[in-house]
Amino acid sequence: MPNLWKRIHKLRALLNVRVGTGAAILPSAATATKEFPAITRLHLTYARKIYGGHQGARHFWRNCFPRLKYHNPAVQMTVKQTADQEGPAALTIYFSENISNAASLSATTEIKDQHAPTPSATEKTAVMNLKDLTYTDIWQKVKLATGARDLVATPEEQAELQKIEQMRQNSEADRARVASIRQAKKDQELMLQQARGEVEKLKQL
Amino acid sequence: MSSLNSLIPTGTRSVLSICRPPLRQGSMAAPILFSYQQVRGKASSNPQARGKKSKEKATTKKKKGPREFQQVDLTQMEQFALCDAMRYLRAFEVGREPTTSKYEIHIRLKSKRDGPVIRNMLRFPHSVQTESRICVICPPGSRIEKEARAAGAVLVGEQEVFDAVKEGRIEFDRCICHPDSLDAMNKAGLGRILGPRGLMPSVKTGTVVEDVANRVEMLRGGTVYRERDAVIRLPIGQLAFSPEQLRDNLRATIDQVKKDAAGLNDRITKEIYEVVLSSTNGPGFSLNGEFTSESSPETAALSGV
Repeated sequence: MPNLWKRIHKLRALLNVRVGTGAAILPSAATATKEFPAITRLHLTYARKIYGGHQGARHFWRNCFPRLKYHNPAVQMTVKQTADQEGPAALTIYFSENISNAASLSATTEIKDQHAPTPSATEKTAVMNLKDLTYTDIWQKVKLATGARDLVATPEEQAELQKIEQMRQNSEADRARVASIRQAKKDQELMLQQARGEVEKLKQL
Repeated sequence: MSSLNSLIPTGTRSVLSICRPPLRQGSMAAPILFSYQQVRGKASSNPQARGKKSKEKATTKKKKGPREFQQVDLTQMEQFALCDAMRYLRAFEVGREPTTSKYEIHIRLKSKRDGPVIRNMLRFPHSVQTESRICVICPPGSRIEKEARAAGAVLVGEQEVFDAVKEGRIEFDRCICHPDSLDAMNKAGLGRILGPRGLMPSVKTGTVVEDVANRVEMLRGGTVYRERDAVIRLPIGQLAFSPEQLRDNLRATIDQVKKDAAGLNDRITKEIYEVVLSSTNGPGFSLNGEFTSESSPETAALSGV
């Protein structure tokens, strides 16, 4: 098993899952209102490479999906990465009963996402076009459409974030310092080797 | 040998003989010469030779490390309840292929560096892999065939199996053979086809067994595990498992490991020191032994894709 501190540092990633863009609670069956019905599923489809405007969709999966999943464990989330660069970059939101007004405004009807699972009898879907949007834009769009409630980082979490940021800055300075030490050592060795080589040459003469 | 030795000075000769003593056993005179030179080598006052010897001794007398594996102090490590760890892991695995992502368990043991290691096979209450298809080679029409079929083997028989394999229809992932059919199988010459795929039954790999039915049962849902550097690692569940299913599997694993540790030897004690749950793409969570905590969500929310 790896060194304990390595493991502890690795678990810092947990903070990143709890706070940041996309850390929000989607309306569930208990918190649904008339305006914003409950969300049952999310499905994301995008292509493998970034050209054709697929970058934001992939970043949305990388950055926001884990946070959404953490805060809404009951919502099913699926992702399909296609090889078709011309194909859609789309997010399908599954509402129970009916679609929210905001979602119906921003949703498109042109995109046909054949990878999205078929909605059940009580589900209604809204498809969003994600092409050429950054992941923060996508998140704003999703937030408006679903009525997700953003979670603010607690003071402890903020303190920890600050601590990590401080460590990051310190590590940059430390890295430069250690690099200079190593370089000095290497220079010294090279110099010694050259000096020895000259002695050898003199001996041969 | 003697002609070569006569060309070089005595001191180096002894050194050379140290370097490659057993190479010269072809000639009859070699052992005699060899012992003679050993004596010379010891007596010689050549400083070079002496230096070399002392060095050799130094390397053999290396300082021994600690007898036991070093255990880390877990007071600094944050530990999690099973449901909380699952919640995080499911967040890390979101959008991954659900069939490839698995929960894994790492069991850290308190154990000595030398001595026996735990190696065994385990059958989970909830199968981790999708069931593997098993082929059994045994005399057709016998009791063994019936048992194998009852245990869930897909393809059973002798000649029909050989024909199918030779035609290139290999529709199984594991192959077991009964000792009675071993000769027939060797004669059929399946090694060329099955060998490269790692499917050829052999006594060495434990796939030629008397008790076919039991083995089929084991292979269908069994997982092989072993201790490496005092850690046992094995996949323990599919990502779609509910916390209850995972708990059952975890309990079965830990009970089995404890049983293995107890059954090793009277003088050897192995204990479980830490249990870490991770997943294919997630970090490792040290478990605290609890099932839920106050902040964990309902267990129903933690299953499915």
